[in-house]
Amino acid sequence: MWFGKISDDGVERSKNLKKSFLESYNSDPLPFSVFEYGKEIFGDDYYRILRRVAIEVAQESVEREIRREDRYVISLVRALDEITDTSNLLDERLRELREIKGSRIVEEFERKIAELKGLRSEIEREIESVMRKIAPNLSEIVGEKIGARLLEKAGSLEKLASYPSSTIQVIGAEKSLFKALSRIRKGKKAKVPKHGVIFQHPYIKSLPKKKRGKMARFMANKIAIAVKIDYFRGELDEMLGEEVRRKYEQLSRK
Amino acid sequence: MSSFQGNEIIHNVYQAEFEGKMRLFTRSAYPPHYGERKIGDLREWIPHRSKLAALIVKGHIPEIRRDMKMLYLGAAAGTTVSHISDILDRGILYAVEYSAKPFQKFLQLAMERKNIIPILADAGSPEGYSGIVEKVDFIYQDIAQRNQVEIFIRNFEFFGRRGTSGLIFVKAKSIDSTAEPEEIYGRVIESLKERFDIVEWTDLDPYHRDHISVYVRWRE
Repeated sequence: MWFGKISDDGVERSKNLKKSFLESYNSDPLPFSVFEYGKEIFGDDYYRILRRVAIEVAQESVEREIRREDRYVISLVRALDEITDTSNLLDERLRELREIKGSRIVEEFERKIAELKGLRSEIEREIESVMRKIAPNLSEIVGEKIGARLLEKAGSLEKLASYPSSTIQVIGAEKSLFKALSRIRKGKKAKVPKHGVIFQHPYIKSLPKKKRGKMARFMANKIAIAVKIDYFRGELDEMLGEEVRRKYEQLSRK
Repeated sequence: MSSFQGNEIIHNVYQAEFEGKMRLFTRSAYPPHYGERKIGDLREWIPHRSKLAALIVKGHIPEIRRDMKMLYLGAAAGTTVSHISDILDRGILYAVEYSAKPFQKFLQLAMERKNIIPILADAGSPEGYSGIVEKVDFIYQDIAQRNQVEIFIRNFEFFGRRGTSGLIFVKAKSIDSTAEPEEIYGRVIESLKERFDIVEWTDLDPYHRDHISVYVRWRE
């Protein structure tokens, strides 16, 4: 419990309430109400003290959380890429090994690769859950995966929130963008990319080529708004996702 | 206010005509929290901003007593919590929120209100705050998540008593974005029936589309 532990001779009171508040984990429901024991210790002051400790703990953890979470996602996205590359490489080596000779170590090798793939899906789930938390609007519009990818390219939620939609539209297509820009500078004809990372989204991918640019522009626009809401307010605005859906339906019809 | 012609529907909750329209208010000694208007000591409670306000305006009035102990899951920035805090002037409100950003805003509210215990935690793991929250009379849940029903039940297992009431808000699209809302609602109610008595359920049109609220009582 937040104020101490129950032992055979009653409640052993915690010496550091903030610490015990953070550690008040029980794997199963308690068969009694926390308040019953707390009242014996604190009497009428119970809620006053609980509230004071809760607020102190909350103030400290909220600061820490906000600073940490976007870096966590970015690092996870990079880890995911590395695991994907590695497991592809290892898969090839495994195939070769199996053709040459089956052995215990080859089986072990196979198991380890499967484990690595398991880890990959766990990381994906973690990315999804953190993205929902730190960027609910971005996740609603483009999904957690693409959202995390955009975040990774930008470097932080703060930076992504400062980008204009035209930049967001071509994040991930820097190479072809700069190629096009240098051609334009030389006065030649150039193809400017319509989309970068966001092309991965089914709403863009599934449209005929001619309409993708329009959809990408619209989507980037809404993403820019969404990230700003995520960064400054952090609450989900259901209208944004709805607008993107409607635009897609409109474009895919005609 | 001498000119005030209001009708008290829950402790400190009034429905009254103001500027030619029926509006909802809570009596509050505190300043506005999210940009809502304050007229005298009444804070306007806007159904478009708060799902509980929408429910009440639609005539579905859950029994909330001023001395209740309540657990609120998904406090967000504290819009709805601020009004419930007005109601529970002799009660306690444990408010859980997972996301740090809105929690920051919510914390300002919690610091000014004596009846709110703020908890930054994942409502999906009640284990983490099981040594903080006591057994409660009411559990309120507004978290748009795929497994939100499961989370709701899990919290009742930890903090419910026989007869503890609950109010859950379900957004069809967060449970399953491909199925028809009606089908999803049917499924949700079926799974709630396994552990709860259903008091009533309703949609929240036109204030919050594709949402329902289900009012339940814990059977165990």
